[in-house]
Amino acid sequence: MAGDVVLGYDDSAGSRAALPVAVRVAKAFGAPLAVVFGYEPNPLGGESTDYRLQLERLGSDMVSKALQEARRLAPEVTVEPLVVPLRPADSLLEAARERQALVIVVGGTGERPIVGAVLGSVPHKLLYLSPVPVLVVPAEEED
Amino acid sequence: MVEAEIVQPTGIALSAVPGGKGLKVGALSMISSLVIGVASTAPAYSLAAALGLVTASVGLIAPAVMWLAFVPMLFIAAAYYYLNRADPDCGTTFTWVTRAMGPKTGWIGGWGILMTDLVVMPSLSQIAGAYTFSLFGAHGLANSTFWVTFIGVIWIVVMTAICYIGIELSKNTQVFLLSAELVILTVFSIVALTRVFEGGVAHSVHPALAWVDPFKIHSVGALSAAMLVAVFIYWGWDTAVTVNEEADDIKRTPGRAAVLSTLVLVAIYLIVSIAAQSYHGAGFLTAHSADVLSGLSHDVLGHDFSWLVILAVLSSASASTQTTILPAARSALSMAVHGAVPKRLGSINRRYLSPGFATLLFGVVSIVWYVVLTIISPNDILGNSISALGFGIAFYYGITGIACTVYYRKLVFKSLKNFLFIGVAPLLGGLVLFLMFVVSVFYYSNPANSFIPGQAWLKFIHFDFHLFGWHIYVTKGLGPPLVLGVGLLLLGVPLMLYWRVRHPDPFFRHRAEVAESIDGTAPPLTPGAVGLHD
Repeated sequence: MAGDVVLGYDDSAGSRAALPVAVRVAKAFGAPLAVVFGYEPNPLGGESTDYRLQLERLGSDMVSKALQEARRLAPEVTVEPLVVPLRPADSLLEAARERQALVIVVGGTGERPIVGAVLGSVPHKLLYLSPVPVLVVPAEEED
Repeated sequence: MVEAEIVQPTGIALSAVPGGKGLKVGALSMISSLVIGVASTAPAYSLAAALGLVTASVGLIAPAVMWLAFVPMLFIAAAYYYLNRADPDCGTTFTWVTRAMGPKTGWIGGWGILMTDLVVMPSLSQIAGAYTFSLFGAHGLANSTFWVTFIGVIWIVVMTAICYIGIELSKNTQVFLLSAELVILTVFSIVALTRVFEGGVAHSVHPALAWVDPFKIHSVGALSAAMLVAVFIYWGWDTAVTVNEEADDIKRTPGRAAVLSTLVLVAIYLIVSIAAQSYHGAGFLTAHSADVLSGLSHDVLGHDFSWLVILAVLSSASASTQTTILPAARSALSMAVHGAVPKRLGSINRRYLSPGFATLLFGVVSIVWYVVLTIISPNDILGNSISALGFGIAFYYGITGIACTVYYRKLVFKSLKNFLFIGVAPLLGGLVLFLMFVVSVFYYSNPANSFIPGQAWLKFIHFDFHLFGWHIYVTKGLGPPLVLGVGLLLLGVPLMLYWRVRHPDPFFRHRAEVAESIDGTAPPLTPGAVGLHD
């Protein structure tokens, strides 16, 4: 019995492109879909409570939006929105481990590799660290 | 309805996390808390900025001030520790003081944080500029106001961008940088002291026990002015008290990291200040206050190794700049969320998830402030900024200390422990800081005490009278630290009143609260504050 399909979602162009793919994979395997938004304020900044709350609200808005879209695409797929207080890549790894995920689906950042290397691209980290297969969906060309 | 079940997806815990540790919000290992506490204090940068300014006031008794300044900070740390239990991991004077003493005082407390963060920026940029040139041996450029300012502005731009985009160093890199900083400072001190005892160093002085004895300082004004500079070197240390440390029982383990970081800081400040002033005497430190560690390290370690000290200062200044911009933006966000300042300041950038607008605004205002200050007073940006900063720190730490006792006033007499740690210590810390503040106001109201003796601003202010036997007068203008430090704080009063008239809801409707128990986490200050994002 396969586990969840875990989708990283932050409302970026890449994650919007990844959403329908994740829904199709979940539907094909009859797996539940976990939509994950991860965040963690830099601890160097201190004073984080109100900031955390704002990020939590932003994250729940985003995953709620993804949930509605997923239900519209495939009403039969069980979707669970998760807002996880860990860095984006860690939140996906944690969710994947905990749900014994079938696959992690993320959007490609669409950034040039060097930019991703400097800023720490999530797909890049996942490719090295994920215990389960990772599916990277390229962002659609924006106008 | 399908939407109903996701109204509040927040706080959904991934249940089967081993040991329940993975998702504990903000919980850090002891090493991480220690690194954050010490890196936020930025020892190498603090020493580079403060060494010459402390000796300017008290000469060879500077090491005494270095440890003495820690005492009020320790008392205030008790306030941070206990207020943090009511409003965990928040660390903002703004919310705590609003709870304890009402919205008007709370607003001014928050303003105090923002202004203090602003005032430190020129000194950070100045050090970044001067030490960058020293690193490459361009000592001529290191003394050029234009080029130092130029690099200083670039420094602010880069650091603001780092905070905006949210670039973080990995934990291992942070541990490495901080350890390197401490090791370099220690080696520098040991080499300096060894060479002093070997003899043959110009103007060297052998260390004496009197150096650590604050009673050897005979002018209360000079002591207060030196303390105002020295509280700055411990500024940021409170982060070690308020970051949630991962422990078997957070409530019962009062931050081992805080205790350890204390020992580390007091030790490093004492060693370096003693070594530095024994090498060429206190006069050298005062005369070279703008780039004291750069000049000294060249003499102590020689051309081949002095860059190590300069690099330590730069790495420390970069940590310190980040721990200035990040909290400034978060304080502004906090104030915006509770309706105390325009909502725009609380907006989160959707892509980088940073408090984007507040971060950029802080960067822009810092640059303007830095450049204007350079134009007005090119020769003593560092001294004026650091002393002005002391006023800000004394004010907002002081008010936080008092807020702790006020907030827990019903519990102060419940036990001896309560009495000491939520009654006496925070209140005493607060009062000592306010006393320093007031004495320093008098001290810097005399332009003869400016870092450039006689330098005076606002010369049109003129009064001379006797009150209760005190002779109160300003006849030759005011010292720049006073104008900057107190002026910026006072500017908050009309702004607060304006905002209160225009937007009394919801923030100014708050009533002061009082704590009923120590471990009872307080309800949210503003329930259901609206979501804001770009």
